[in-house]
Amino acid sequence: MLSIVDIGKRFGEVQALDGCSFTVERGVMLGFLGPNGAGKTTTMRMIFGIAEPDSGAVLWDGRPVQLEDRLRFGYMPEERGLYPRMPVAEQVAYFGRLHGMAADRASAAALEWLERLDVAGRATAKLEELSHGNQQRVQLAAALVHEPELLVLDEPFAGLDPIAVRTLAEVLRGEAERGAAVLFSSHQLDLVEDICEDVAIVDHGRVVATGKLDALRRRSRHRQIELRLEGAPPRWLPHVAGVELVARHDGSLRLAAGREVDPELVLAEAERTAQVVGFSYGPPSLTELFLELVER
Amino acid sequence: MKARQAIWLVAWRELDERLHSRAFLASTLLMLALVGASSVLSLALSPETTYKVAIVAPVPRGLDAALQRAAKPFEAKVEVRAVPSATVGREQVRAKKVDALLLLANDRLVFRSDVDAQAAAAADSAVRALRHHLPPAPELRAVTLQPPEQKPTDAESLAAYAGALLLLTTIAVYGQWVLTGVVEEKSNRVVELILSTVRPRHLMAGKVIGIGLLGFGQVALIGGLTAILFAAGLFDAPASIGANLALVIPWFALGFALYAVAYAAAGALASRQQDANSAGIAVTYTLLAAFFLGYVALASDMNGLLANLLTIFPVTAPLVLPARSILVGVPLWEHALAVLLVLATIYILVRLAGRIYAQGLLRSGPRVDLRTALRLARDG
Repeated sequence: MLSIVDIGKRFGEVQALDGCSFTVERGVMLGFLGPNGAGKTTTMRMIFGIAEPDSGAVLWDGRPVQLEDRLRFGYMPEERGLYPRMPVAEQVAYFGRLHGMAADRASAAALEWLERLDVAGRATAKLEELSHGNQQRVQLAAALVHEPELLVLDEPFAGLDPIAVRTLAEVLRGEAERGAAVLFSSHQLDLVEDICEDVAIVDHGRVVATGKLDALRRRSRHRQIELRLEGAPPRWLPHVAGVELVARHDGSLRLAAGREVDPELVLAEAERTAQVVGFSYGPPSLTELFLELVER
Repeated sequence: MKARQAIWLVAWRELDERLHSRAFLASTLLMLALVGASSVLSLALSPETTYKVAIVAPVPRGLDAALQRAAKPFEAKVEVRAVPSATVGREQVRAKKVDALLLLANDRLVFRSDVDAQAAAAADSAVRALRHHLPPAPELRAVTLQPPEQKPTDAESLAAYAGALLLLTTIAVYGQWVLTGVVEEKSNRVVELILSTVRPRHLMAGKVIGIGLLGFGQVALIGGLTAILFAAGLFDAPASIGANLALVIPWFALGFALYAVAYAAAGALASRQQDANSAGIAVTYTLLAAFFLGYVALASDMNGLLANLLTIFPVTAPLVLPARSILVGVPLWEHALAVLLVLATIYILVRLAGRIYAQGLLRSGPRVDLRTALRLARDG
């Protein structure tokens, strides 16, 4: 289990991290969310000793992380980068060996991953000869080749097309099922909602929410109401205290309401004005929750 | 994973990637071809020697012919000059009008300051033939008018200069490879991935060792071949140059280790490829200054205080010591002291540069100046 315990870090005048804490268990995939500059990348770098915390600790199975532990971690940094003139399979195997694998096992595992990620055809090509998308796959293979116990990926979905997103999501889910602890940061909240059960949301260097996504959503002060109406006046809104419009699209309305608001009141008012063809009430989406938690 | 394994993995990758580069193979072949060609040229262009030998008149009959016969195996000729007296003959030797004075009356062959072994052998066998004596008792004693001079021959000067130049260029070229390699890793961000499992100082060590091994191989091949050609007499020069020239091989290792860690630290402080050259310029200038300072010191007084100091001073020793050893010889204790001092400097520099390297690697933005770098080294 990875434990980030109350870490703090200052860069000059900026308090980048201020008592940031959360945990990632084996077999769990945790989405690490937060606005730009919230401290996500710095936290991830600390797991690998690339940045040093001023206070607090990064623990693996309860003990401070050592270089030996990191050999069993896999990392995909925010700024991707490999050796441009090194052949692809050789390169992935090299990273396997840097993680302590024997030469033959590293080569075999490299080829397996290239096969799985559908770039085996370019195994002997130099990295710089590959398309951007394929270079991303090689980068992923370099993080996975040694069967890491902890996988840390900084914005792995950024810049991927929908097919690549699906492949990556499947790979990450597979890694978690294998028993790895998976931590990744993302701004694509819909996607995180689809594939993660656990999240940690960080703002101003502090974790503002962490745990099971469903529980966090239920604990929210807000609820989401969706209405589909026919024959309503164009600018119609229910006049119920504590209800706000989030979005309006054709005849659909998405509303945010305080947890204490009775949804029956909204439904009743809508029925007086138009024909209601759809109504839903529930905890807010991850996006709503995120905006609620990191509101400035 | 042990430190040694990590260092070796990094070193092997550096070696492997560059071994496949055409530039490396081409430059090695070109330099080997140059050495071979200069050996052939040196032999082809060496003129036939003519020894001028003064003999007190009257010259015995048949001596001239005997001298020519005896000199033939050395591909040399002898020009006999009759002189009225031994005193006149000595004056001519002193004035360099003749190479030697043959005094048959007391079985002596007189040279000015150095005994020419070939001339002495030719004269000895000519006189023996004339007197119908049998070997092995020598007929003549070779003597000199003055103690031998310490002035190196042209061949020695050339070898010393070429050896120092080889060291200068290889240390600079391979040092630049370390520099650009470091900046490349930094600018394409692969360094962050590497540092997640490898300590910065091990990454630096692996890089320096990998590229150093490549340079060492090239220098050993070229320097070794040249030294062997000298020792085998394939240059028109004394064979002893060969052994001294071979010193460039170990001194490349020492000099490279010293300068490469400085290049690595400089590279870590630059963040873009465009900054790489200006980052390394201080190191390159130090190297050039060491070369020219050594050149000037040796040209003015090879045994002077400055020349002696530069022989053992760690920054200049790698370039000056092998050259001075070829020119005038360097006593063993100076060799030992120079090696000890340069090893101590490498040790200190590795620790200092290792910290600068670690701190600089993950910095980006404008180039870090030296004062900041030293502060980083202290804090790191």
